[in-house]
Amino acid sequence: MSHDHAHADAGHDDHGHDHGGHFSENKILFQLLVFTVLEVGWGLAGKHFGWNKLSLWGGLLFFAFLKGWLIAVYFMHLKFEGWVVKSLILPTPFLVMVIMGYVMPDVADAESPLAHPVGSAVDPATGRVIEDIGPQWSKPDAEHDKGH
Amino acid sequence: MSEAIAAYDPAVDAPAHHHPIYDYDSGPPVERGKFAIWLFLATEIMFFSGLIGAYIVLRSAAKSWPDPAERLAVDLTAGNTFILIMSSWTMVKAVFAAKKGDQGGLVRWLIGTILIGSVFVGIQVFEYIELYHHGALPSVDIFWSTFYAMTGFHGTHVVIGVIWNLCVLIGALRGKYTAKNNLGVELAGLYWHFVDLVWVLLFTIVYLF
Repeated sequence: MSHDHAHADAGHDDHGHDHGGHFSENKILFQLLVFTVLEVGWGLAGKHFGWNKLSLWGGLLFFAFLKGWLIAVYFMHLKFEGWVVKSLILPTPFLVMVIMGYVMPDVADAESPLAHPVGSAVDPATGRVIEDIGPQWSKPDAEHDKGH
Repeated sequence: MSEAIAAYDPAVDAPAHHHPIYDYDSGPPVERGKFAIWLFLATEIMFFSGLIGAYIVLRSAAKSWPDPAERLAVDLTAGNTFILIMSSWTMVKAVFAAKKGDQGGLVRWLIGTILIGSVFVGIQVFEYIELYHHGALPSVDIFWSTFYAMTGFHGTHVVIGVIWNLCVLIGALRGKYTAKNNLGVELAGLYWHFVDLVWVLLFTIVYLF
């Protein structure tokens, strides 16, 4: 067994049995780094080529959840845990979906969206919406480039 | 008298009403510390879900939403994401070193994790300072409010993780952890990986969406 191969030992198991949890942390690290590159590339390409939001966000979420799954299953050893730990953590995705389901009506039925568009501000003295509030909105890098 | 004591065999001579001693634990079939940390992590998932849910509501209700790439340094943060993932890998190495009873390896990988985690925090502080100098404060608009709320709470978790790892490192230097007694390292590792996992999702939602 090479040095980078790890085992799930008895301490990782609810009942003291060895589930044979072999994985290479180096391979998982490599996959995480590759998926991060692909994810950033997907995001930049999607915005550059004007992909629709379903494709852009769907791809991004796919890579994000894939990376999260690798971390949870291998680095956090969830794959090799027993029923107690799994029963503690597995209901949470369902509960997250319940939360999201409850907040969705706030999104879908929003009759009064935010009082003013993001990127503008309300003048506290007059209460008037100021559409463009100046250069502080620009990206720091762009601002820095302008200075040169 | 002493001969009588020496001849005493509890299996034979103990009174019949004595209860046998079972190798038995009435608790859940998992270490209490691990049970507690996973329960805590489940609550943490709900905590961050609340933040992300609020972000989705606010963003969906806004008339317009700026492209994060125009306001934030995505390239810098992508590098920072690499760094945090690397720290998760060094933490895995530290846990495995502890399980093998490799004291030197445990100390080295823990130091690596702490240093890399500190670099992540340092880059985030640098980003905040840059944004502050450009007038990007939480009070400016809802984009910055949600940005600072989500990344700030996560950054606080990273700082707590670094402090926790420092405590584990001190324990390791004192020889507290052995091949059979290393649950403390494993619990710190679980928390650290969780912080990494949350960042993977936050980076996508805050910087790339």
